[in-house]
Amino acid sequence: MILQQLVNGLTLGSLYALIALGYTMVYGVLLMINFAHSEILMAGAFASCLLLGSPWLQSNSPGVAIVLAMLGGLLISALLALLMERLAYRPLRRAGRLAPLISAIGVSIFLQNAVFLFISDQSLAYPQIFPIRHFETVGVEINSLQLLILGVAVGLMITLHLFVNRTRLGTAIRATAQDASTASLMGIPVNGIIALTFLIGGALGGVAGALNGMYYGTIKYNMGFVPGLKAFTAAVLGGIGNIAGAMWGGFILGILESLAAGLLPNGSDWKDVIAFSILIIVLLFRPEGLFGRHVPDKV
Amino acid sequence: MRTLVGILAAGLLSAGGCGPQEKVVRIALALPLTGDIAALGQGIKRACELALEEAHPKNRFPAFRLEIKAFDDRSDPKEAVDVANRIVSDPRVVAVIGHFNSGCSIPAAQVYARGGLPMISPAASNPKLTLQQLDPGWKYPKSVFRVNTTDDIQGAYAGDFAVKNLKLSRACIIHDKSAYGQGVAEEFRKRFEANGGRTLSFDGISVADKDFNALLTRLRDLSPQMIYFGGDYAGGGLVVRQARGVGEKAAIMLSEANLDPEFLRVAGPAAEGCYLTFLGSPSDLTPTAQSFVEAYKARYPGVEMRAYDHYGYEAMNIVLSVMEKSGPDRARILAALPGLRYQGVLGETRFDEKGDTLNKKITLFRVKDGKFQPLR
Repeated sequence: MILQQLVNGLTLGSLYALIALGYTMVYGVLLMINFAHSEILMAGAFASCLLLGSPWLQSNSPGVAIVLAMLGGLLISALLALLMERLAYRPLRRAGRLAPLISAIGVSIFLQNAVFLFISDQSLAYPQIFPIRHFETVGVEINSLQLLILGVAVGLMITLHLFVNRTRLGTAIRATAQDASTASLMGIPVNGIIALTFLIGGALGGVAGALNGMYYGTIKYNMGFVPGLKAFTAAVLGGIGNIAGAMWGGFILGILESLAAGLLPNGSDWKDVIAFSILIIVLLFRPEGLFGRHVPDKV
Repeated sequence: MRTLVGILAAGLLSAGGCGPQEKVVRIALALPLTGDIAALGQGIKRACELALEEAHPKNRFPAFRLEIKAFDDRSDPKEAVDVANRIVSDPRVVAVIGHFNSGCSIPAAQVYARGGLPMISPAASNPKLTLQQLDPGWKYPKSVFRVNTTDDIQGAYAGDFAVKNLKLSRACIIHDKSAYGQGVAEEFRKRFEANGGRTLSFDGISVADKDFNALLTRLRDLSPQMIYFGGDYAGGGLVVRQARGVGEKAAIMLSEANLDPEFLRVAGPAAEGCYLTFLGSPSDLTPTAQSFVEAYKARYPGVEMRAYDHYGYEAMNIVLSVMEKSGPDRARILAALPGLRYQGVLGETRFDEKGDTLNKKITLFRVKDGKFQPLR
């Protein structure tokens, strides 16, 4: 029973973690919460859903179609994030911290309404292109979708971890996060690096959106809001700005929610209360989050 | 600046040009036009507009210009009260059709009552909406009516059917925490237990979470014979899909706000075999509504009809017919409604002392081959 709920929680948590990475990476380099990130997720879900429904993907085998659709979602979301940064945030970079925040909320409202008006104001059914199979071991049941989500999410997170810690570009991202002006003095093209973080965060968000659509079978113009909020919470729980923190924060939040809803009577009424109480308690004792480091104010 | 003044002045003049003697009378629609269940609100709005368009050529109201003004409550009770205040303060509005959700209708009704504005709901089914007017603390005139029947009737019907016809006695109940969803779930529970059934669990879900796997896994381990869901299709479709996803084999029964094509789309094959109750009967199964169905399809070709369209149409026509006799006046419309006997698409509509329709029919459906099939 607990193991079964852990499987539910891990699946949910891996989706939170993928989204949380987008929040945390952008915060890392810009100290800004990109509230439009939830719309990146929505865009990824819509792009992949429309692709899957299109005739030239349906002629492929299910495996190929899924991969192509996910790549499509990834691409659209990454481009959207890039565009967002260029049009809505970069012109405001020197305008204090409130202006880009408001701009982000504006972008979010704009994108939701654009999809509402031009694509659909209803939920669309996400095409289910392979039959869901159930596997059972030691009393725990896991289905093929959950395996796919876990596999893709964990794979992407490992890739990201290696990229950030083992490559020159990754080093440049970390340097920009640490101190943008010094980084630029060292010859790092800071604007390009910031765009790159948006691109990566957007790509991960897009994949999360596609997986979210597959898992729940339905997508809608406002679908990003709740997962976005939860993922933001996960990022704060793990320590915003910290990449490993966002991953752990996502898993912890997903598991907490599932255990609360699954083990307590009336648990689904209480799961948010429990999850957010734990967030508050953590922040009381560790304001920088579980994995964040306390950074003294820059002078 | 001068040009701006000029434009404004021209605007005023042309507005005045329509004739100061022409009186404008408004019927307000307060419905969810955006948000999760926007499709239902939009459907009712179309039906009301159709009713008004049909009234125009007959020139039933020569003394004034009648128009519809639609307000969006987004299914949000806070928004609904705000909208209600705006409606009440517009002296041109003589009646309001809405709201759709019980959670919106109950607080908004108090605002309308304070302004003496008649309100006819085309869909809100929580008994409390009209019952609150019998409360000793209710200081206003009775002003709330509805053309659909209520959840105490629906819940009782479902509770009877589950125990007496399906012979099920162990149920898990889920609701979406809305005034409507929780209300109908409680009514079901009451009758189910009165019939000797046992409720194993009673849980509320937040629909926006979309993920109910944890809850449904717990319920599966309680091995219920049936699951009852009270709420609208935004939650119902997901619950059914995920329940089957975690291997739940029990019968599933849902309240009427799931009788929508979107429920079938979201739930997919998992919807097969689900039972649904519906308030009254849907327009395509109502003999008296056939001319309305044809007119609607001709007016809005290619538009999917929604479950409450004929209720909206009826509410609008009731207001129009009352206004024909009593004139465009809030108090006089209000005085005429309790004694109303109206023959329309729903058959005969009369209101009881609370303002509820005496039409208490419930229709039962089962999903078969991806369609809602009426059982009885």
